[in-house]
Amino acid sequence: MSAVVAEFRRNRLSLSYVIVVALLILLVAAGGFLSDRFLTWRNFGNLFQQLVVLGMVSLGQTFVVLLGGIDLAVGSLVGASTVFIAHFLEWRPDLLWLALPLALIAATAIGALNGLLTIVLRVHPLIVTLGMSSIIFGATLMYDKEPGGSVPRGLADFSYANLWGIPVTAIVLVAIFALAGLWLQRSRSGRSIYFVGGDREAARLNGLPVNRIVVMAYALSGLCAGLAAIFLTARTGVGDPRIGTALTLQSITPVVVGGTILAGGRGGVLGTLLGVLLVTMLNNLLNFLNVSSYYQWVIQGLIIIVAVSIHTTRRRQ
Amino acid sequence: MVTPVIELSRIEKEYPGVKPLDRVDFAVRPGEIHALLGENGAGKSTLIRVMGGAIRPNGGSMTYLGKPVSWQSPKQARAAGIHVIHQELALFSELSVAENILVDAQPRNALGLISGRARHARAAEILAQLGVKISTHAKIDELPLADQQMVEIAKALVGEVRLLVLDEPTAVISGREVDLLFDNMRRLKREGVGIVYVSHRLEEIFEIADRVTILKDGQVAGTGPVGDLTRDEMITKMVGRRLEQIYPARRKAPAGGPDILKISNLRAGHRVRDVSFAIRPGEVVGIAGMVGSGRTEVAEVIFGTRDLDGGTIEFDGTRLDRRMPREAIRNGVGFLTENRKDEGLFLGLPISANVMAPDLAGVTRRGLIDRRGEREIALEQIRNFAVAAPSPEVKVGNLSGGNQQKVLFGRWSRIARKLLILDEPTRGVDIGAKVEIYRIVRNLAEQGVGILMISSELPEIIGLSDRIFVMSQGHVAGEIDGASATEEAIMDLAVRSLDRRESTAARLEQVA
Repeated sequence: MSAVVAEFRRNRLSLSYVIVVALLILLVAAGGFLSDRFLTWRNFGNLFQQLVVLGMVSLGQTFVVLLGGIDLAVGSLVGASTVFIAHFLEWRPDLLWLALPLALIAATAIGALNGLLTIVLRVHPLIVTLGMSSIIFGATLMYDKEPGGSVPRGLADFSYANLWGIPVTAIVLVAIFALAGLWLQRSRSGRSIYFVGGDREAARLNGLPVNRIVVMAYALSGLCAGLAAIFLTARTGVGDPRIGTALTLQSITPVVVGGTILAGGRGGVLGTLLGVLLVTMLNNLLNFLNVSSYYQWVIQGLIIIVAVSIHTTRRRQ
Repeated sequence: MVTPVIELSRIEKEYPGVKPLDRVDFAVRPGEIHALLGENGAGKSTLIRVMGGAIRPNGGSMTYLGKPVSWQSPKQARAAGIHVIHQELALFSELSVAENILVDAQPRNALGLISGRARHARAAEILAQLGVKISTHAKIDELPLADQQMVEIAKALVGEVRLLVLDEPTAVISGREVDLLFDNMRRLKREGVGIVYVSHRLEEIFEIADRVTILKDGQVAGTGPVGDLTRDEMITKMVGRRLEQIYPARRKAPAGGPDILKISNLRAGHRVRDVSFAIRPGEVVGIAGMVGSGRTEVAEVIFGTRDLDGGTIEFDGTRLDRRMPREAIRNGVGFLTENRKDEGLFLGLPISANVMAPDLAGVTRRGLIDRRGEREIALEQIRNFAVAAPSPEVKVGNLSGGNQQKVLFGRWSRIARKLLILDEPTRGVDIGAKVEIYRIVRNLAEQGVGILMISSELPEIIGLSDRIFVMSQGHVAGEIDGASATEEAIMDLAVRSLDRRESTAARLEQVA
């Protein structure tokens, strides 16, 4: 947690976070004013539950975007992982201890493969991960076209558990973000992501193991997709190959809204966390106001463009 | 009195907090080469932009060919015959030479379509005027930089040009290419074109310019015919104080001790054909030669960013097998690349991160980066190298060129316990910062670091080096002692062996 605070303090002057925080406050105020059910403990509990999956995937996306890349395979990977987890657990509910690590290892390996392919083939990550996304999606559908499988009671309970009225999954999420923030700011490999994202050639000249760092960032994105799939399967109780379809593009929104730039080298996980909060809270409020989901899409699009243009203008000054 | 091509009087430009131009008077006569001198930030580029219509001044007046004007856009100035060639060339690297030359004036055929044949004919005509042999079909990125520059000048000749502004055109070319450029400048001058010439190289000013105007802090510090000012007077006016000594004292005794770097029969690609030399601790070894003679490539091979085809490299008597920057860094070798923005610095990151980049392990305690330690080292290097920055948190992209270069010295001096390779260490850096860099280089050498310095500026090579190697066509053409070296001796080696090779090749062709 202290690392997140430290990151905030260091970036205080950049104002990027201030903008997102201001938007959040505005949203909470508007919510409280427009709906009497919005500012309730119970709603916030729900909200935190909702943001866990998006939060996890966006965290992974942050590493890759910081590197100057993009991961379009996360959605398919989440879908495939839920199918794997749910079917494995339907077959052997007693092997929960094995199923989850296996899912995480597989997801991490696929992520690492993405990174490796961008290096070996020298193809833009957009293309590599787009192709990979299609391959994973197709392969998953070959195995199972409809939602299926099941999860044991324990896993389902975990997803609805509360600690002092706060969902345990949300606490886990925040802990993971804090750890990620600490890692990015204070470890050699984390810092190296900024170097490689800022200028790959310069990173090489400074003797940094560029290829290893690239593979690591994509592997972490895969790992995050795997974790998201665990959260998701625990909550829905099934594996669904299509469940991640929308997640890919959704995962980019909080990253860029939070001030991480697509060119790489600048940004951080705190911004992403705030971005996730903003997007989820906005949709939650619009639901309360019975705004149709079509409008929700439109408003979310506006938020992306406005927030990023504010970041960009600020940076130019 | 001839009517000047352009005359600026009491031109002012002001931004909040800064005044890049303060009541500047400046005039260029037809057929005159007028040098514009000044340190970085003195206001040269702002003045150029005012003339070219890219910036509108806040005060003062401008006449062009005797009539008062006030440009609304660069396009308007261009149409009137003012052509500005910036240091960063404005060419489309994927397009052909002809397309680039006629970018604003594509010839059309009867149907109103662009005519490829007419385009190549017209482009070839213009290039012939310039006396250069460049294929109009070649793509820009296939051309050497010097040719690209000629294409840029050719663009100016498409329409009528009355005033040509060249912003540091010789920063990226050398030797014969400079001669070709100067020949063309003289030719344009004879045709009555006024030329504004910006350069940091004073020797060139004496060679080519008729008059000189020196800017200092946005004001004119001096102006007059070139012959009226000595080199030292120019520097004094530019810097605002007298620089007692530009180059620090050389080593008194020849360097002793075992070789710190020894390369033998190095081959890499077609640029490095057979290079052998050695450097001892504490000596400054200069490498001179034309752009393209293989100078930079040798440095890259030594540091491990370029593949080696043959030969050996030994640091401190041990041969390196795994050839990559990480290994070189581990062995105490640092490399300040020619192009600091593209290849050295992380512009978006603070000074502290830039200084520590190659040595994160040095500030890692129990797996975590020690922020305070990192900050202290950065502060120390900021002090050691007099970087003008308020704190180590300042982003490197916000510093001037000279200060960026000092940050790089701050970084690599910690790493380079044994050998520091410098590729054009003072390019684009103003004279005040240059003198500081020379002092830094000499100090490092006195601490026992071997220095390998590549430079296109012969005075710098001669003034700083203990020994000089002259490279030509991938070979070491000769070695000269630094204290007795002259520019003529160096150029002689750089060109003579080149001519000999060419004539040998020609003879062989005749025989065949």
